[in-house]
Amino acid sequence: MRSTFFISLICVFFTHYVLLSQDTTSLQSMRVGGSFQGENRVQIQGNNELTWHEYRLAITLEGKPTEKTSFYSDFWIRTLGTPYLHTINELFSANNVNPAELQLREAYVDFYDFLISNLDLRIGRQRIAWGTADRLNPTDNLNPYDLEDIWDFGRHLGSDAIQLTYYSDNYKLNCVFIPSFTPAALPRGYGATALLSFSELPRGIVLDNITNTILLPKKTLWNNSLAGIRVTRHIFDFDFSLSYVYGRDCFPLVKKTVIIPTTQLNFHAYNELIYPRLKIIGIDFTGAIIDLGIWGEAAIFYPNEVSALNDLSAVGSGVQQFIVLEKKPYVKYVIGADYTFSNGIYFNGQYLHGFIHERGADNLENYIIFTSEWKLLEDKLKLIPFGGGIAIKDFRSIGKAYAFVLAPEITYYPVQNAEFSLGSRIIDGKGSTVFGKLKEYDELYVKVKYSF
Amino acid sequence: MKQHLISFILISLLYHPFLFGDNEQLSALDILSKVDEVVNAPLDQELKIKLILIDNRGGQEEREIIMYQKGSNKRVAKFLSPASQRGIGVLSLPNDVMYLYLPAFKKTRRIASHIKNTRFAGTDFTYEDMEAIRYSDRYTPELIKHEQEFYTLLLKPKDVSKTEYSKLILRVRVDNYFPIRIEYYDKSEQLVKVLRREKIEKVGKYLVSKESEMENIRDKHISKMLITEAKFDTGLSEEIFTERFLMR
Repeated sequence: MRSTFFISLICVFFTHYVLLSQDTTSLQSMRVGGSFQGENRVQIQGNNELTWHEYRLAITLEGKPTEKTSFYSDFWIRTLGTPYLHTINELFSANNVNPAELQLREAYVDFYDFLISNLDLRIGRQRIAWGTADRLNPTDNLNPYDLEDIWDFGRHLGSDAIQLTYYSDNYKLNCVFIPSFTPAALPRGYGATALLSFSELPRGIVLDNITNTILLPKKTLWNNSLAGIRVTRHIFDFDFSLSYVYGRDCFPLVKKTVIIPTTQLNFHAYNELIYPRLKIIGIDFTGAIIDLGIWGEAAIFYPNEVSALNDLSAVGSGVQQFIVLEKKPYVKYVIGADYTFSNGIYFNGQYLHGFIHERGADNLENYIIFTSEWKLLEDKLKLIPFGGGIAIKDFRSIGKAYAFVLAPEITYYPVQNAEFSLGSRIIDGKGSTVFGKLKEYDELYVKVKYSF
Repeated sequence: MKQHLISFILISLLYHPFLFGDNEQLSALDILSKVDEVVNAPLDQELKIKLILIDNRGGQEEREIIMYQKGSNKRVAKFLSPASQRGIGVLSLPNDVMYLYLPAFKKTRRIASHIKNTRFAGTDFTYEDMEAIRYSDRYTPELIKHEQEFYTLLLKPKDVSKTEYSKLILRVRVDNYFPIRIEYYDKSEQLVKVLRREKIEKVGKYLVSKESEMENIRDKHISKMLITEAKFDTGLSEEIFTERFLMR
């Protein structure tokens, strides 16, 4: 890890040096940019636990060496979380005391008019952003989710992919092939509790340990690869897309559980988790009705049937086999609208049926996500007085399970390229919903970002 | 009565442009059409623009954009700086179609008309101001003043739903039909912004205002626009005015 980090740093400085020292047309067209971003969050309840600590240097290197080619890369060097030290020996390594990590977010090359005119080829690690909604895109299923930060739920990891895009006067055709499957990054810290659900154990069983084993798809092309195709065209005053993805669920599903006693009263659970195959047909649109911006997306998920096995024979309950995911299509969708009032206040609202990780027709819940923005003092100050979301498990029984998040924020732009944000998230509700599971984690946060 | 009638005919004849070859008696629409011809004269244009934002305390910020225009109704503007806005692009197409590209999201988004009234990346220009238009297509003109050096036109929108302005007042030079001042009025008929065009020079065959400034009357904020590079009639490809180019 440490050596990778240093090699990467050397690469950055070497590249920068080359760019500065050379004087050729192609090199002049290259550019190093990026941002520094720091964020700290503290829990409002309890003893004010520091729940997030991230200092990130994002570096982008991009260039257009010729008219027909360009490249782009984006990597993060960052510290995330506080040091996790156990022994005094660990203190002798600065990397343990003050750890940093490197992530290659994107790195790709574009070839324009590849083979024929109007055909572009993009190869490398890339973000393939499908869908028209804001951050909640049921049709955006090629890149795995990056849910490391549960509050940045629209974030995806890049995929090592080959993308061909053909542009015609009337439509755009997009074909993507991803040779190797990458699972989603799950939330860190308390965020994990929001997405996990636990099976009920037989009475009297107390687990003292759980081992979760991930079974990734076999490393054959057929098993590992994903593919997608999307056609976009303008019809009347709207942009429409139709897409198909031959993919995989990027969230794991428990396929097998074996419970073994460790003592007379305590047990160890061994879980095996898989990533089921999925076929997804998607449709999305964006346009306007009078002054109101509107958009929508719907994705029909066709899962393969997955049967699970619970081996409780060690506790005398035998082996149970049941279907954990039915071969029954289900639809996730989102509709949204935005509007800017004459006083400059911007409002954006979306209704979502089926959150990122939810699967199966009977397990999709309802979400209303909203935000408002008010820019003041010649755009030096941005207020989000009214932002957040509401989760409703079932509209027929709202009172039983619901939760809301209120997330006001104030951002100040003191100088060009710099922003300071102060905000909070207040969560409350009843029953078990994604937001409701986080209600013990009201937070206050500060963020700083500087772009260069 | 008869004497009055003769006098009227004589006066009418004296001022009839046909008799005296006076082609300055143009209608408001003629003048506006000529304004459109002058403003949109180049077949295409590529401009590098420096925007200087000056707040009411004198503080300054700079933006740099590159703008491509073809004819009078296709325009692309891309931010080159500052770093926080680099890569943001706006594509303006005929029939009020506009797309915005935000590099952070890696996708283009069609802009609904409510956005058009908002500030374009913190400047005093709105998205609507950034559109490539022919004034005569969107506004009905009325000549309200004819001075020796200037025409003053009142422009009222043909379709009020397509603009956030209730009216514009254009001050146009008589000698070359270049609009040197535009006043923008909001829906409550209040003056909200004034665009002043200065340093009007001929670059090749065309007149260009090398310096202009948009003053926001309410905020006392100014956006100065300096053209640092101008190229005309280079045969810009239609490909530039596409979402494909916007995302590059």
